[in-house]
Amino acid sequence: MPDRELPEKAQRAIELIRQADIVIGIPSYNNARTIGHVVQAAHAGLAKYFPQFTGAIINSDGGSTDGTQEAVLSSRLEERQLLLLTTPLTGVHRLSFPYHGVPGKGSAFRLILQMARSLKAKACAVVDSDLRSITPEWIDLLVRPVLHAGFDFVAPYYHRHKYDGTITNSIVYPLTRALYGQRLRQPIGGDFGLSDRLIERYLARGGWETDVARYGIDIWMTTIAVAEGFRICQSFLGAKLHDAKDPAADLSAMLHQVVGSVFALMQEYDKVWRAQQGSEPVDLFGFRYDVGLDPIEVNVDRMLAAFLRGCRELAGIWSLALAPETLAGIQRAAGVATALPDQFHLDDELWVRIVYDLACAHKRMPFERGHLLRSLTPLYLGRVASFVIETRELYAAQVEDRIERLCLTFENLKPYLLASWDEKPVTASSPAAPSAGEAREAVEARSEV
Amino acid sequence: MIVLAQEIFEKTLARLSEQLTTYLPPLLVAVAILSLAYVLARCARWLIAKAFKGIALDRFLRESGVSSLLDPAGHLRGTAVAAAAIYWLILLTGFLAALDVFDTKLSSQIIEATVFLLPKLLTAGLLLLAGFWLAQYLGRSVLVWSVNEGIPHSRKLAGGVRMAVAFVAVVVAADVLNFARDVFLAAFVIFAGGAVLAASLALGLGGRDAVRRQLHGREHLSEETPEKSAWSHL
Repeated sequence: MPDRELPEKAQRAIELIRQADIVIGIPSYNNARTIGHVVQAAHAGLAKYFPQFTGAIINSDGGSTDGTQEAVLSSRLEERQLLLLTTPLTGVHRLSFPYHGVPGKGSAFRLILQMARSLKAKACAVVDSDLRSITPEWIDLLVRPVLHAGFDFVAPYYHRHKYDGTITNSIVYPLTRALYGQRLRQPIGGDFGLSDRLIERYLARGGWETDVARYGIDIWMTTIAVAEGFRICQSFLGAKLHDAKDPAADLSAMLHQVVGSVFALMQEYDKVWRAQQGSEPVDLFGFRYDVGLDPIEVNVDRMLAAFLRGCRELAGIWSLALAPETLAGIQRAAGVATALPDQFHLDDELWVRIVYDLACAHKRMPFERGHLLRSLTPLYLGRVASFVIETRELYAAQVEDRIERLCLTFENLKPYLLASWDEKPVTASSPAAPSAGEAREAVEARSEV
Repeated sequence: MIVLAQEIFEKTLARLSEQLTTYLPPLLVAVAILSLAYVLARCARWLIAKAFKGIALDRFLRESGVSSLLDPAGHLRGTAVAAAAIYWLILLTGFLAALDVFDTKLSSQIIEATVFLLPKLLTAGLLLLAGFWLAQYLGRSVLVWSVNEGIPHSRKLAGGVRMAVAFVAVVVAADVLNFARDVFLAAFVIFAGGAVLAASLALGLGGRDAVRRQLHGREHLSEETPEKSAWSHL
């Protein structure tokens, strides 16, 4: 029975297909260059790893003008090249529809999930349309834990360049880990596996027209799965290589949507995270191996200039949210950035306090949320600049240790968050963040475990 | 002589007695009304402060930023403001009722003027408050946006927007009060005209610059456009 909210074309397709065990969803917007490869990989994945299941690949498009939909429908897969041991029982359906509603990834996901529910899919995987490194194995790794191991939510685990995914590394991963106690390394990776139970839950919830309709969708899905006790795991997918999403053009909006969604969910799941202490690892499937990654050029001077501009102009707005000592710390860092740019450093504890103060202000001052979230951009760029300066000479594993140290600081400063959240005065007895040495020891101890 | 003095004294006493019988009862009633109003006002203020302490009004004022607008130190409490408003309203009502007791031309005029002006004053006050709040909000929006976009003189730009919106609020409030309406209206027209002229000039100059850069070719254009990051933040 097709969902009445679905576009007419999609309803007709559902009446025709009736059922699909596995649905692969691909949201897109002007991705004609890469989406053909993604569709082929998904098709090959279904044919190779799930020949006994019926499958559908659904592209949910945001009104592309570069022929993305045509690329989806015209992409062909030569099954004989795959050397399949088992012939698939049925062919894989390939569909492409424009979604309705607020333009954004979340709205595209909504259409995919509605289609998956209408097709009575047992499992659904969603993958980005700009991926260059996707292989058929990704489909197996995202779907199999759902179909054969009873997991509801499969998050990706990739190797990424040390400067790739900086919102993930500096805010979203450490914050969600400290809040909900689960070490999901790529909470906003964008490629997920989902069970029918979880799809039902997502669709039953409201709020699809908020930031969730845009970049907030990934963290929204992850947080619901984690906070509501669904069975979660991770799958190692290798390298994540993808087209640049023109991030600098809209970094402020991206931060607003992602971080705003994290903060909004913090209020909703207040009772879940306030009792949580520390964190625990999450099951990781897949065979881990090292991969080569595209080099990334980063312009530190530009980021520092943006940070300093923010310090000059936005101190008044920051003072609405940040504690006086946090603000003083930022001004000290700005002094160093002006005098000795190469030695600029925005330390972990200061960064964590900034994020926690903003989270509390987001709760306390709903009318100022937009300003506060957008004013985070220069601070974020300052933090990224500091991270780049600090890790310039480090290898990927060392950088991962560095991120682990930041996560521990987030976890250790949680009492500070709780005190601010409840608007209680923060006393001197609030635990301080671990020193660099202590954190390093903890990281090493954890690595040994 | 003594008789004359006695006569004057009696007349004075009679006049005084007449005045007393004319004005003392209303005066006593007025004092009683004022006292009652004062007691009522104190009670109402106390009750409001007790009953509404810490509830939605305080939160709303704090969350909306009105508290910080009226009192940058952040000590303003919505309950206290509401209690004070009720207190003064009751006192004013008591004062007007007390004046009404005298039933003179002057007292009637004062009452009429107050009753006529009070709603307008309240409306104008609310308009000003809303206008200043909007000015602050839009000023902050422009400030954050221009800083993120790397536009120079962000604070001046935001200040200009704040002043413009506040000025519009003042013009509207003056219009409601019928106070120097023409002066404010003329100032507003001059101000709006100036702003439009400035914007047109800026657009014209900017457009000319853009055309020149187009004519010079794209390599020159790319030098000046902001660099885009080559990596994904998500």
